[in-house]
Amino acid sequence: MKLVTAIVKPHRIQEVKEALREIGVNGLTTTDVEGFGRQRGHTEVYRGAEYQVDFVPKVRVDVVVADDGADEVVDTIVKAARTGKIGDGKIWVTEVERVIRIRTGEMGADAL
Amino acid sequence: MGSPADPVATLRAALDALERATTRGHHGRWSAQRRSDLFDGCLEELWGELAPPPGLALAALGGYGRRVQLPRSDLDLLVVLDGADPGEVRRVAEGISYPLWDAGFELGLVVRTPQECAEAATERLDSLTAMLDARILAGPEELLRDATVPVRRIAAGDVPGFARRLRAAAVARRERFGSTAHLLEPDLKEGGGGLRDVASLGWLQAAVGSPLEDAGLLRTWEGAAVDAAEGFLLRVRSAVHLETGRRADRLVMELQPAVAAEMGFVDEPGLPAADGLMRAVFEHARNVELVHDLALDRVLDEGDAPTVPDLAGPAQVLRALGELAEVGAVPSSALLDAVEAADVPDPVVWTPEVRDAFVGLLREGPAGAGMLDVLDRIGLLVRFLPAWDAVRCRPQRDPYHRFTVDAHLLAAASGIAELLAGPADADDPLQTEAAGTIERPDGVLLGALLHDIGKVGQGNHAAIGAGIAERQLRTMALEAADRDLAAFIVAEHLVLPDTATRRDLTDENLVLDVAARVGTPERLAALYLLAKADARATGPAAWTPWRQALIRELVGKVQRAFERGEMGAELAATLAERVDRLRELLAAEPDDLVDRFVLRMPRGYFLAVGPDRAARHLPVVMPDLGANEVRTASHATGAAGTHELLVVANDRPGLLSWIAGSLALGGISILSAQAFTTEDGVAVDLFEVEGAFEPEIDERRWRAFRSSLRRAIDGSASLERRVEEQRGAYPAHRAPAPITVTVDNEASEFSTVLEVGAPDRIGLLYDITRTFADLRLDVHLAKVTTFEGRVVDAFYLRDALGRKVTDPRQLDEVHEALRERLG
Repeated sequence: MKLVTAIVKPHRIQEVKEALREIGVNGLTTTDVEGFGRQRGHTEVYRGAEYQVDFVPKVRVDVVVADDGADEVVDTIVKAARTGKIGDGKIWVTEVERVIRIRTGEMGADAL
Repeated sequence: MGSPADPVATLRAALDALERATTRGHHGRWSAQRRSDLFDGCLEELWGELAPPPGLALAALGGYGRRVQLPRSDLDLLVVLDGADPGEVRRVAEGISYPLWDAGFELGLVVRTPQECAEAATERLDSLTAMLDARILAGPEELLRDATVPVRRIAAGDVPGFARRLRAAAVARRERFGSTAHLLEPDLKEGGGGLRDVASLGWLQAAVGSPLEDAGLLRTWEGAAVDAAEGFLLRVRSAVHLETGRRADRLVMELQPAVAAEMGFVDEPGLPAADGLMRAVFEHARNVELVHDLALDRVLDEGDAPTVPDLAGPAQVLRALGELAEVGAVPSSALLDAVEAADVPDPVVWTPEVRDAFVGLLREGPAGAGMLDVLDRIGLLVRFLPAWDAVRCRPQRDPYHRFTVDAHLLAAASGIAELLAGPADADDPLQTEAAGTIERPDGVLLGALLHDIGKVGQGNHAAIGAGIAERQLRTMALEAADRDLAAFIVAEHLVLPDTATRRDLTDENLVLDVAARVGTPERLAALYLLAKADARATGPAAWTPWRQALIRELVGKVQRAFERGEMGAELAATLAERVDRLRELLAAEPDDLVDRFVLRMPRGYFLAVGPDRAARHLPVVMPDLGANEVRTASHATGAAGTHELLVVANDRPGLLSWIAGSLALGGISILSAQAFTTEDGVAVDLFEVEGAFEPEIDERRWRAFRSSLRRAIDGSASLERRVEEQRGAYPAHRAPAPITVTVDNEASEFSTVLEVGAPDRIGLLYDITRTFADLRLDVHLAKVTTFEGRVVDAFYLRDALGRKVTDPRQLDEVHEALRERLG
């Protein structure tokens, strides 16, 4: 199984969720996060008062999928999250050792 | 498993039968008493079988002592001993505990001498109050009396001291468990206004030694209200025990529908059954909370009867409360008696005095909101604000909210008063600035108080609330400007948070639309302060740095759109007018096509181009474009020999230069140009042109222009060499006029504005835009004008990633390249 983690722009999260639902992903976790990549923070100025915005607000999406589903999930997120402008985010895929559904104790792919 | 004669097995069977006797929603006070009796019987029997020595007695404590034993509550027992043999004591204590433990009952048993009981009661309030509820179960009653009489004396000997301890305990409980009266997942037992507060009144009565009504500590309606509340809350708590199968006291969201159904609540219009249940819980708990506190106040007020002003009418009532709020005092019961006795008509007729006193309370922040809460609990707030009735005690069902609608509104109003008056927040310079922008704080305070008044179970609460607030505000003797501001922020209070968290803040149209909708800096400031106060009044999760950052980004952009004059109340009105006129002109076109056109074009386009021209552009702009497709349309204008030329193509670096170059090659001069880009990346470029050498532009020249442009776009011909050749064919009549280049990164939120001034010549626009294309800069917007042989061009540039150009080295490069090419 794979864990697909994506960092996307907040206003794209609805599209990402819908696109994933359409390809049959039936569970995901989202978290409001802040960070920076190439789209560094920036300095905001309000009439004299200046302050540094170090981190840019993003939404993190975590989806656990079977090995053969990871590519489709990644492609789907890329399509749904892309605006072509800077700060569209990143996706990474990691190996998942074990998954357990807490209520039933089901393991592995059955627990997805 | 016990034999049939086993008293614990008999008890278990009888308890099971009791549970089956009625639905889970109907195990109230009677059931608790019956359960208590069943335990009594079992314990008496166990005690009898153990045949304890004479110096031992068994008593029930706490709720069990009061014969209020709920389905899964534990059993508090006391063995009082007086000189009994320790081995015997142990045998009896174990003989009572083990069979009940083994059968799965939760049991707390303490063994004490009367002396130890008194010591424990002196040390700990909960030991003292448990003993006040003590009831003999088996053994000599005198023995228990030996224990309880001294304990009772501790409470009765210093009633004010005892009342103070009860009050401190209640405050501590509220800090830990919150209020049963407005938390959406209330703790029925320990929360403020919960069953522990009811018990607390019982302890006070035990200390006073006579019914609280007789002692003048409760008025008749107050005693009756607490009694009814106890009956109701016992039913709810029993239902929660039975529903969860354990001793649970928090009525969490997921239990509410089932408990409501068991208790017979049904869905009503605008009020689902679960909300009806919660509303009833909050109503009862509020009565308990108020009466509990009043009774303790009355005990503690004894001896220094405060002078109570004569409260003639609503304005005096509000002013009296306002004076208390100002010094941070709580209303005495004497004052509340006076308030209740005052002549407050239903509904109140608002006068300027009433209005000033009411707003004065709001200005006091939390203390003032506390006074409105008190007014509400004695039923008077709805006389001032009839609209309040529909949100009173109303639960709200979303994952962020923790409080009822009315509690949330009071918290938001008090929060915004603090933001308006409060000290600067170092982490939020915007707050200080927004507070300074507000000229009508009264409108802001009232708007905050009413912002969720539309949460009446009909959906779309901002729109519904706008109408309700409007009607309410009209009764309140307000100046029109205050009323308008209040009504506006009620209607639009979701604009900032919703837009900031769900929409693309790099979309210029979006920012301008928000600016158009908001209209003025003061309204923007009010909406920002309300967004912050609203979120902070919602719960700990609502005002996160994440949300703050997004909302501030939006507010900053809208603010700068106002400052630059890109949008404002007047421009918004002009824009709306033009769009309306455009719709009239395009009445024959399908509505959705016109809608899409209006949404798609930059706002600046409609402000720069009149409705007549825009109407002509729609059929050229709107059909889908092929990748390399280019559409052109020309139209003779009023001035002799000049034409308007429209070019539509997918935007790409270099496009404007190809158009300019192709015009030069066709022998067409550019008088002025405006280049726009739609949000989906289509360039809509407008030119005012005339023939370069002959006044007429014939079809041959248009054809030459179009074919050059097509070939440039599909890459089959380079314009560079041909423009150069053509330029060489004509003598340059170049005057030694200077070339100026200025860069402004403040003029636009989204683009770098670069202005070029140069003497006009053939292919000038081509040269400038070619330079941008070489440097991979995209022209998002351009304004080109020719005036007496000199061209002044403004270009709104973005880099390949759609950002402003801020790197000084890159800007130097642009300067250099332009001077080289033009100079």
